[in-house]
Amino acid sequence: MERAENISVASWLPRKPRARTGVSAQAFAGLIVAAALVSAALASWLPLQVSIVTVFLFAGPHNWFEARYFLMRLPARFGRSRNFFIVAFSGIGLLTVAYVSLPALYYSNVWSGANWPNAIAVWNTLMICWIGGLVLMRARQKANRDWFWVLPIAFALCSLNWLSPELFSLAIVYVHPLVALWFLDRHLRRTKPEWLPTYRRALLFLPLLLALMLWQLSRTNALADDNGLFWRITQHAGAELLPNVSSHMLVSTHVFLEMLHYGVWIFALPLIGASGAIWSVKSIPVANHSRGFPKLVAAFLICGLFAVLLLWFGFSANYSLTRDIYFTVAMAHVLAEAPFLLRMI
Amino acid sequence: MKKTLIATAAIVALLASALYAFGDIARPKPTPKSLLYSGLTITSDSQAFEARLVISENTLKNLHEAGARGNGDAALSQKIMHSSGRTMMAGLFMFLAISFGGIWIARSSQRRNTKAIAAAILVAAIFGVGTIMVRANAGPPGYIRWQNLPQNLKDAKETRGGVSIEVVPGDEDMKLIIPMRKSSKPGEE
Repeated sequence: MERAENISVASWLPRKPRARTGVSAQAFAGLIVAAALVSAALASWLPLQVSIVTVFLFAGPHNWFEARYFLMRLPARFGRSRNFFIVAFSGIGLLTVAYVSLPALYYSNVWSGANWPNAIAVWNTLMICWIGGLVLMRARQKANRDWFWVLPIAFALCSLNWLSPELFSLAIVYVHPLVALWFLDRHLRRTKPEWLPTYRRALLFLPLLLALMLWQLSRTNALADDNGLFWRITQHAGAELLPNVSSHMLVSTHVFLEMLHYGVWIFALPLIGASGAIWSVKSIPVANHSRGFPKLVAAFLICGLFAVLLLWFGFSANYSLTRDIYFTVAMAHVLAEAPFLLRMI
Repeated sequence: MKKTLIATAAIVALLASALYAFGDIARPKPTPKSLLYSGLTITSDSQAFEARLVISENTLKNLHEAGARGNGDAALSQKIMHSSGRTMMAGLFMFLAISFGGIWIARSSQRRNTKAIAAAILVAAIFGVGTIMVRANAGPPGYIRWQNLPQNLKDAKETRGGVSIEVVPGDEDMKLIIPMRKSSKPGEE
């Protein structure tokens, strides 16, 4: 069992970090700040257009990189984490199926729109309970760790969710991109702890940038959502839920956060060697173990590449429909981040 | 017996007079019933001969649904206050949060974990601020978006903002009420 645990941890340890990345901590932080500045400028200038281009280009690839990263973090043998992963994968599967079936049930007139907030509230409650359960299970895996405080926080979140389920879901839309920055923080802590203070100082710049964006865009006129696609984008950013807030500000903020999210998964983590050589499965414990599944993992990654190509084709053929389907199905990757982030804490 | 009859007659007469007195009180004025919260764009058209009200299919559908439901889905704060089922669930979870929070604080106090307690109080404060934002609809007041309406109409520009669609009894014409605030120019009171 101990051997299995060590195998999963081994992938954290970089052999020659400087040689593999070729950048210093200062250069890395500088890149993050520069990327954030460019993203904020583009998102503020042309929010709808940049949203369309960003999702088209990066939505699929970022999911592929994320899936590959999670495979690297998956231990070859679950050992004492078996129950944790059973609950994690069951939750991801069931919650994703439930989430996908919600609009399907609505459009098939199984229930009226009046019950929609209740359905959303039930789903959000189940998600919070699932994450709370995972946190408690993770806490039990380490001695001297008391995470009992998770319970009151989880129940308080459930309470807020029932007060306004749609706003709670909107909060998830805005908070989720920031989770990528947390992943990057945890990864640096384990592999390049000397970079961590510089990275965290660079992160302090983000709230300032966000505050500047909100200040500049709060009085702007609403975006012209006069076609179906633009309307979808403004709705996704919460324009209908927050009618008194400028839709320009909402879409720009959301696009900015999404760009940071994509940037971390596609550029920052691979840059520091977190994803390993993307064409090789040797850095993936499940594939590299003597009793692992190298062919299955390789097939999964190749299928993922085809899914990215299919997504690009779908965006080219019918952008609006593909975007809707993508953001519904993509809930799976949002949920998957919870257990893997917990494994890193 | 006679006394009882007289007393009963007096009480009945008193109740009857009370009914008569209450029957003379004017009926309360019917209050507007908010059906739906949506967006509104006001613009001018130099080529048009009639004022036109253009409604999208989706808005009309939502209006139909809101009308069928009776009380509609009005403003966000009203939705929160009027959804008793969800408020009960929120109360139940808040009860659980406070209960488990109390247990946690009691356990933490035994270990003198003051930092964690401070963090919990901070989180509670953040939730409090979040709740206030939700109840306040998380934005500046709606009238701000209409302040440039006169100038925009002169310049033939669009003005967009939120609108609460209300239904009132009677058969009067449709009325659009724009929230305008008097802006005090220099030299004016």
